[in-house]
Amino acid sequence: MRKILIVGAGQAGLQLAHGLLLAGGYEVTVMSQRPASEIRHGRVTSTQCMFGAALEMERRALGVDLWSAAGSGHRIDGLGVSVPGPDAAPAINWLGQLSQYAQSVDQRLKMAAWLELFAERGGTVVINAATVSDLDHLAALYDLVIVAAGKGDIVELFDRDAERSPYSAPQRSLAVAYVHAVRPREEHPDTSAVRFNLIPTVGELIVIPALTTSGTCDILFWEGIPGGPIDTFDQVADDPAAHLAHTLELIRRFAPWEYERCAEAELTDPGATLAGRYAPVVRHPIAALPSGRLALGIADVVVANDPITGQGSNNASRAADTYLAAILAHGDRPYDQAFMQATFDSYWARVAVCTAWTNAMLAPPPPHVLDILGAAGQHQDVADRFANGFSAPDDFADWLLDPIKASTYLAAVTAR
Amino acid sequence: MTRTYALHAPRRPSRVRPYGITRGRTAADRFLGVERLISTVEFDPQRVLGMLPETAAVYEACRYPRTIAELATGLALPLGVIRVLVGDLAAVGRVRIHPPAADIPDRHLLERVLRGLDNL
Repeated sequence: MRKILIVGAGQAGLQLAHGLLLAGGYEVTVMSQRPASEIRHGRVTSTQCMFGAALEMERRALGVDLWSAAGSGHRIDGLGVSVPGPDAAPAINWLGQLSQYAQSVDQRLKMAAWLELFAERGGTVVINAATVSDLDHLAALYDLVIVAAGKGDIVELFDRDAERSPYSAPQRSLAVAYVHAVRPREEHPDTSAVRFNLIPTVGELIVIPALTTSGTCDILFWEGIPGGPIDTFDQVADDPAAHLAHTLELIRRFAPWEYERCAEAELTDPGATLAGRYAPVVRHPIAALPSGRLALGIADVVVANDPITGQGSNNASRAADTYLAAILAHGDRPYDQAFMQATFDSYWARVAVCTAWTNAMLAPPPPHVLDILGAAGQHQDVADRFANGFSAPDDFADWLLDPIKASTYLAAVTAR
Repeated sequence: MTRTYALHAPRRPSRVRPYGITRGRTAADRFLGVERLISTVEFDPQRVLGMLPETAAVYEACRYPRTIAELATGLALPLGVIRVLVGDLAAVGRVRIHPPAADIPDRHLLERVLRGLDNL
């Protein structure tokens, strides 16, 4: 039995832990900073919208779907984009259809349940806020140590990769509220859809239908350009009711077409709000511990993109999927530096386009992207292709991220 | 006559059995605070032979009940390592993790915890 320690009980850590446990032949320990009950009843920690491909990977790793659309009543079938015009109505406003449904399960609900299921299936759970000193000693007791905790001191063990990190400061302020009593958009009352409202020079309002501990809900998520009118949630810090009121006031002001359906929103629970910011970063994947032993980083420990494209949990799922395959294929050979680097390299190959796309979305849109957003309102094929790119972002390299390919594609679509 | 059905009948995935859920909840919620007492179950020197040195040290030290803090100090290991080793030993029944102290722990225990923390 090979012994593997996974530090961090989030999407990547637990998906990988379950995958190894189900594969058999591994003694897997997950170190979680908080017990399951605290995760479940604590403050929200994330936004997430997992698209078809990432959901398939997690179901394969877990061997069970705890929140099937049929059982939970939660599914997302569309992805819409709106951009304001000269008056209150949006100038761009369309809805792409997802070919596979997406889901947004509150990580409080999901990670608490996954951690309990992991223990129930025979995995070892240790509740401990890991320190560098812990890892240094534990690396001697395990065949492989994987760091899957994207926050905290131990992340600093992984050096920033300047070549792959175009930004050194946060590009958005983030403000999240989980709420009940938001209605669907009037123009598509029967389609549960995630909505991107792009407000030039101000930021983005993303509305995500979700599932939380008290049932289905919506996430109202403002991404504010630093120093702008959205970057003002500091003044409502530690006051969830004021946070929600501020969220709604900003919607009324900058995305008025969304206001009516959100006007009666109520927080799902006292811990339903979150505000913060971080700089997008790619890090080197291998940490050298004080003793010289090594630890391998995964998911947002090594690739932390801005949440603007909703890819964090999707990338975590892609990472767990990649690392699981690499570990299983490695058999009983040692998990040395070459193995660690090769494993990360396969992951990077899967998310390099996604990272470029996410970083591009943080900058003002170039003309060819505006052309695409406009054309999607006239041609459903364009809207659908854009929406389904969130599940398989590599497709964006063939049009959205390349002005020449984009115009070739649009010319072909409009000629039909 | 029309029959109606509940739209979302309460159910749980069939492969997760009730006792399993209890075990999962217990283990996923078990936080070993620095004051938790650990004691070895029927110490057997033969068992030490197959153990890693750190594991054996915990197994031997807990012949007399020790707190997590005392183990960390006494064995000069970080708390996280002690939590892992105790968890492993408890999983195979070699040590017993005492229930959390009642609302008002006894003064002697508190002093020991304090000493242990001071020495970390």
